[in-house]
Amino acid sequence: MTERPILLVEDNPDDAVLTVRAFTKNRIRNEIVIATDGEQALLRLLPADGEGLRPALILLDIKLPKIDGLEVLRRIRDDDRTRTVPVVVLTTSNEERDVLSSYRMGANSFVRKPVVFEEFVSAVNALGVYWLIVNEPAPSG
Amino acid sequence: MSTGTRPPVRVGHEQLMALIDHTSAVIYMRDVDGHYLLVNREYERLFNLHREEIVGLTDHDLFEAPIADEFRANDLAAIARGIPLQVEEQAPGEDGLHTYVTVKFPLHDGAGHAYAICGISTDITARKRAEEEVRRLNDELELRVRQRTAELEASTRELDAFAYSVSHDLRAPLRSLEGFSQVLLEDYAGDLAEEAQGYLRRIQANVGRMAQMIDDLLHLSRATRSQLKRDRFDLTALAREVVAEISDPARSATWNISDNMAAQGDPHLVRLVLQNLLGNAWKFTSRAEHSVITVSVHPQSGVDVFEVRDNGAGFDMKYADKMFDPFQRLHSAGEFEGTGIGLAIVHRVITRHGGRIVAEGAVGEGAAFRFSLTPAPADWELR
Repeated sequence: MTERPILLVEDNPDDAVLTVRAFTKNRIRNEIVIATDGEQALLRLLPADGEGLRPALILLDIKLPKIDGLEVLRRIRDDDRTRTVPVVVLTTSNEERDVLSSYRMGANSFVRKPVVFEEFVSAVNALGVYWLIVNEPAPSG
Repeated sequence: MSTGTRPPVRVGHEQLMALIDHTSAVIYMRDVDGHYLLVNREYERLFNLHREEIVGLTDHDLFEAPIADEFRANDLAAIARGIPLQVEEQAPGEDGLHTYVTVKFPLHDGAGHAYAICGISTDITARKRAEEEVRRLNDELELRVRQRTAELEASTRELDAFAYSVSHDLRAPLRSLEGFSQVLLEDYAGDLAEEAQGYLRRIQANVGRMAQMIDDLLHLSRATRSQLKRDRFDLTALAREVVAEISDPARSATWNISDNMAAQGDPHLVRLVLQNLLGNAWKFTSRAEHSVITVSVHPQSGVDVFEVRDNGAGFDMKYADKMFDPFQRLHSAGEFEGTGIGLAIVHRVITRHGGRIVAEGAVGEGAAFRFSLTPAPADWELR
């Protein structure tokens, strides 16, 4: 399993706590870095100077303050430093247009957060197993 | 008819004058230079002049130059053509310009030279004004339709934005309620009495119900605002797909889906109809010894009427009209689960297609829903 951190971009503190708990329950021990809006996420990933965060996986909410999730995704995909990082769009909405635009912007998957926590735990389990264990990441350049 | 002993009638100048004096058309004759030779009584009445005053004058003596010029040009055109010419002309009347349809034709002498021009003008002002009024009303109507359409589009966009924020924002607090109740149950089970844990599970169950209601409301809203397609599709195949989604092989049930049912409409939206009607049939037959659910089609005076029939709990016919209203339930939550939105979605989809739906049933004797997807004449009754 990769040791690199997971970046969670989530403005709702309750959702952040529950997401961290879901990872813990699945024994996924990667450090979880939380950005509470799109601007913060971009500052962490693509700082004006220096390397920036290289997470193993980005969990991205779509509806975010300041810079929204789709715009964050676009900039991640536009920059060589983060182009190949897997991004899972994790959101409440299952509006067709959100799903479509997420994939068009280069999201690797789209998960609608279930209301029932236990379902969310198993969704996070599947995500962790796939993106952190099964999937072979792009070689870092 | 017998002529008897009456002398034969001779038709001469006097008789012909009587004829042209008793018509509502304006009749006149001018020489090739434009001087009046003759006018009828309608002409006198119209321009309030006596015929003796008119004979010898030209149109330039009687009308403004632009109008007289036009009359003269039409006279010359008729003379040049040598055969009757029909034109529209305008002349001043008591209440503004009047429009006439005029037939002009030249009179020729023995050598074939034109020596006069005759005109017969019929007033078509009333028709013209009516046409103008119709055109004006049409333009106005079109403008109003455009305004209403724009307003409607704006309110649809608002509704769209509203539904979007409902789907996103109302679910977030529910996740928090559900999630932290679960945290309490997992991390503090030892500190909580069995009864307290039961209360937490009740909270979770209600959160689940609320989440379901939000999803159903979104479906209802989508059934209203999404663009309606009209494709020909296989309703039999669609019904079988839906049955595969909702049925449980562990429960004994018979599904009779008629073969080759073709329908015209939006397959996406009709899927919602079938999901709800078949889902209801499945739900309300859960206490029957053996569920029998039938989907069939019956042409009714040229309209395809589809029917979903079950042998389940049924309902009281006196509530048959109410059951299509949102949040209307005919069974308590303890008896059968539900949010009361399903049939509202069904009704909305069918109405958008221009079709109709009726429900028929009796308590304990099953239910039948019949619907059409095509517009029918206003007096057509779905039986």
